[in-house]
Amino acid sequence: MKKLCIVFSQGPHGNAKGREALDLALLSASFEQEVSLVFTDEGILNLLKHQSPETVGAKDYIATFGALPLYDVETILVCEAAMEELELAEHDIKLEVQFSSSQAIAEHFNHVDEVLVF
Amino acid sequence: MIKFIIQVNSPAYGSASSYNAYRFTEAAVQNGHLIDKVFFYQDGVLNTNSLNSPASDEFDLQKAWLSLSEQYKFPLVNCVSAALRRGVLSVSEAKENNTGNWNMEPPFIMGGLGELVTGIESADRLVSF
Amino acid sequence: MILHHIQVSAAQSAALKLCLRYINSTDSILLSSNAVNCLLNKEWQSRLSGYNILVLEDDVIARGLQSRLSAFKMISYADFVALTLTHNKVISW
Repeated sequence: MKKLCIVFSQGPHGNAKGREALDLALLSASFEQEVSLVFTDEGILNLLKHQSPETVGAKDYIATFGALPLYDVETILVCEAAMEELELAEHDIKLEVQFSSSQAIAEHFNHVDEVLVF
Repeated sequence: MIKFIIQVNSPAYGSASSYNAYRFTEAAVQNGHLIDKVFFYQDGVLNTNSLNSPASDEFDLQKAWLSLSEQYKFPLVNCVSAALRRGVLSVSEAKENNTGNWNMEPPFIMGGLGELVTGIESADRLVSF
Repeated sequence: MILHHIQVSAAQSAALKLCLRYINSTDSILLSSNAVNCLLNKEWQSRLSGYNILVLEDDVIARGLQSRLSAFKMISYADFVALTLTHNKVISW
């Protein structure tokens, strides 16, 4: 068992990064790894409420974020600095997450075995 | 001596990352280290398209991957779902999808994301490109 | 100790900006491919000063930037492999 941290750093629907990051997160969790997620920069937009990906021919993988608790993925960190840059508020985010300082996220990166950035 | 798993996320042509991944892998084995596998994910699966046709005077990255893996005996594994979406199929996916054409041949193999995860678990170090 | 690996130009990607947001003073930054180009820029030079900056030599030579970037530590692929072992992990941004 390893501690894997998956970082979402790009916004959804413009490319496949978010979707392929989530696929890896769920798969890793089902393989009994200790998976944590970090959302930063435009990656936090993956967690915004009221998205309609089908409008642009994209699959609604956003709904699948709701399955994370079923896979025991409980550590979900959202970068406060990124929230501020995009002027988002905590109630804009659809999941139970921990809003975290840059320092706390840096410490988390040190704590895990591997970090995969998407 | 340690064991690396190499993750390649960029295509063979159009981005420099997969060439750098190849050079890193080559340096690792030449310095006595092991490669658990090279795993192709995202656009990295395009490294395995056998229809890639670089001009004869250009570096052939796909051929380079094949000869390095043959010499140092490590597997080259594609993420099958990432490959299918990008039009890279082996003969078995071609059959499943009722198409007479395929463009991925052994020794490249199709695997699931699980192979990346178990590879990360058993390797000492993951390096992504 | 983390080796932060940046491959894409700072003009096209937030990778370098994000790496600096989370870096510790004992970490290192390896610039490869078009990421080396940011070292020509005064603003990036000053943001990166104080960190252990390494540059992949072949990528600098390929771009004809040897003399312009001579102040930075150039490394080979063999050095890159060795660095992944002297650091606890590699984050490719």
